[in-house]
Amino acid sequence: MNHHFTLPNSGHHYDAKASKMGMWLFLYTELLLFGGLFLVYMVYRSLNQDAFLLASFNLNVWIGTANTVVLLTSSMTVAMSISALQKGDSKKSILLLWLTILAALIFLVVKYFEWSAKFEHGLFPGMDHFNQLPNGEKLYFNLYFFMTGLHGLHVIVGGIFIMVVVAKIKSGKVNKSRYQLLENSGLYWHLVDLIWIYLFPLFYLIH
Amino acid sequence: MKNQHSTEETHAEHITSYREHFGTWVGLILLTLMTVFISVFGADLRTITVATALFIASVKALVVAYYFMHLKYDPRIYRVLMTIVMSLFTSFLIMVILDYLTR
Amino acid sequence: MTSIATQQINYLNVKKGIWSWLFTLDHKRIGLMYLYAIGAFFLVGVTLGIFMRLELFNPGRDIMEAKTYNQVFTLHGVIMIFLFIIPSIPAVFGNFFLPIMLGTDDVSLPRLNLMSWWLYIIGALFALSTLVFGGGPADTGWTFYAPYSVKTGTNVSMSVMAAFVLGFSSILTGLNFIVTIHRLRTPGMTFNKMPLFAWGLYATSWIQVLATPVIGITLLMIVVERVFGIGLFDPSMGGDPILYQHLFWIYSHPAVYIMALPAMGVVSEIIPTFSQRTIFGYKPIAYSSMAIAFVGYFVWGHHMFTSGMSGSAAIIFSILTFLVAIPTAIKVFNWLATLYKGSIDIKVPLLFALAFIFNFLIGGLTGLVVGALAVDVHVHDTYFVVGHFHYVMFGGAGFAFFGALHYWFPKMWGKMYNMTRAYVAFGFLFIGFNILYFPMLILGIMGMPRRYYDYLPQFHTLNQISTIGSWILVVGLLLMIYNLIAGYRKGPKATGNPWNGMTLEWQTDSPPPLHNFDKMPELPEGGPYNYPNAKSQ
Repeated sequence: MNHHFTLPNSGHHYDAKASKMGMWLFLYTELLLFGGLFLVYMVYRSLNQDAFLLASFNLNVWIGTANTVVLLTSSMTVAMSISALQKGDSKKSILLLWLTILAALIFLVVKYFEWSAKFEHGLFPGMDHFNQLPNGEKLYFNLYFFMTGLHGLHVIVGGIFIMVVVAKIKSGKVNKSRYQLLENSGLYWHLVDLIWIYLFPLFYLIH
Repeated sequence: MKNQHSTEETHAEHITSYREHFGTWVGLILLTLMTVFISVFGADLRTITVATALFIASVKALVVAYYFMHLKYDPRIYRVLMTIVMSLFTSFLIMVILDYLTR
Repeated sequence: MTSIATQQINYLNVKKGIWSWLFTLDHKRIGLMYLYAIGAFFLVGVTLGIFMRLELFNPGRDIMEAKTYNQVFTLHGVIMIFLFIIPSIPAVFGNFFLPIMLGTDDVSLPRLNLMSWWLYIIGALFALSTLVFGGGPADTGWTFYAPYSVKTGTNVSMSVMAAFVLGFSSILTGLNFIVTIHRLRTPGMTFNKMPLFAWGLYATSWIQVLATPVIGITLLMIVVERVFGIGLFDPSMGGDPILYQHLFWIYSHPAVYIMALPAMGVVSEIIPTFSQRTIFGYKPIAYSSMAIAFVGYFVWGHHMFTSGMSGSAAIIFSILTFLVAIPTAIKVFNWLATLYKGSIDIKVPLLFALAFIFNFLIGGLTGLVVGALAVDVHVHDTYFVVGHFHYVMFGGAGFAFFGALHYWFPKMWGKMYNMTRAYVAFGFLFIGFNILYFPMLILGIMGMPRRYYDYLPQFHTLNQISTIGSWILVVGLLLMIYNLIAGYRKGPKATGNPWNGMTLEWQTDSPPPLHNFDKMPELPEGGPYNYPNAKSQ
């Protein structure tokens, strides 16, 4: 009877470094995905500078700033949750993760109100006010909805990812000696923050 | 040896302290306030404002990447790869804009 | 342990039943599932191509309306590019052989690997569903150029979502291979002792990871404009259709290197084995793969010379395009130098490898022709381009795929196919291919435009010749497929190393055991192609 010979370099063992490498590779794809949109933004803004400036007055700088602070804080809490788990404090880690999720919800709620206000003013493509805008401003709003919308989708996905990790810490599957999944969820979350770090000045701080 | 089976060592076991994370957060908030104030109260120098805003955003991004995402303490290859990826994107941007500028 | 009554346990028979295949984590089974799916969709694509050639046999309407013809060539392109050529070699042979060649028992992320396959199937179903749902298959060409792709009533959204999902599958495959190559090489196997097929896959994987997201977002832009009216390329809103073309080709040009690099990796494996000599210039071949991947990112504008792009940009793109020929030529010279004074054994895998060199040479040289600005004004969007890309994609990558099939067949199934039938099939394939596509180069220079279902009388004869070529090609395809299936079912048992290959897959049984190796593979001193003339590395 053949006993199963195991290679020293077997791919079947838990390999945290492989998991981390894989996550970073995935982040590169996300950067290039959003990069395409940033590229379109840069081109159209350089061709329609005045229109972009005018259109940006429809956004509220202080709301945008608040959302920025919310996301930056959430990056801190998720980073701290990793430190906590590395120190063996799973309770604190879970608490910090819940704070991160709370921040995500606040961000999404604020976004919801911002978007609703735009719809009420008829500023979505196809609506009356939008149709009357000059071309450059139309492009601004097309990009605004697409980019913040896609970003919001990633906030939701990131939030779900973190909730899954919370469940796994509770069940002990993610722990002090096996925490790459937590770190990966943190990396994904920081990516979401990174994208907003650029979205904020490009849409809210044109002046 | 690269090809070890699973071990406890994942990173060089560097654990960032809560203090360091908080400090990073303070820095990011300050940079945010700075960029907002320059925009709201700053001069009407349009191009410089764009450049400044993007510059400050990039500093914030670097801070998030280096500290929160642990790049400062990770093996060098990760910083190298990040540079390559961002350079690739920047080249696409430059080459496309060059088309528009020279039409 | 000898087994007389019982069959030896290997990855094929270790577990039975469809669910043990559909939810397997074994890279070898996943590779085979890709093969069957890709093979099936390839045949659909071939059928569409045959219908196109039938329509083009005579000028005027033959068997379909103009609009249908547009849908046929669009679906033909989408299937051949996204469902066949891009996944083919990495997903089938990369999945099957990369871990074995590295001396390990699986990829680093096996569940992600299974997910890649399922995403492939879902994407394929999306693409084929357009035959039935919502306005019919897209009629825009596989390039989905705006603004027509936004306006047309055909099911562009579904076609484009298919490409998006397939892109995701491609990304995950590339991601998996990069991690596997970094983490799981057998002890002692440095990067410079990896087989060249692994180098080819490594370079390809970086393109898959970094370029594919760009088309992902671009296709999303099309969907979002069709569904929500969020228009980024609509001139009536201030948008620029040429920006779509930039974004589209930023991926789609590197994509052709996703097709070519694994194919070149296959050739680099076959040539040493059938010359029984170590490869000439291991490092130049390895590094030229990375160089092609790198330079390939910066040449996309050569698809847009006549679009309205600026002249200065066109000049830059043309120069860069010429540069990418250099690392490619390096490979060809090294392959030829390997063959020189080798103990050449003209088996069918070698014939396919030699055919690759011949076809890719013609394809590459015609690429230089279209890459030259002034000439391109004349030949852009003509049959010259169609001939060019079929020579590289089909005559090159496609033939390399067939070559890989014939080379690794005994290892994968533990059987051997009929040699004579294989030679005959190759003959039909090679001759049919060249009769089909060479006339297109002439037609293009004469001025026949592409993507038209009708043409002027002076193009008639060459079109007829081309169509007859397609029939000869199909005979070859059918004979090849019949031969391989017959070999699988009734062929003689194959040994572990029928070709006397030196890479690690030939050290294990045919078919391999479930975990690839039953004992530690031996890493030879003289590098991966450790023939007598190899020096110790």
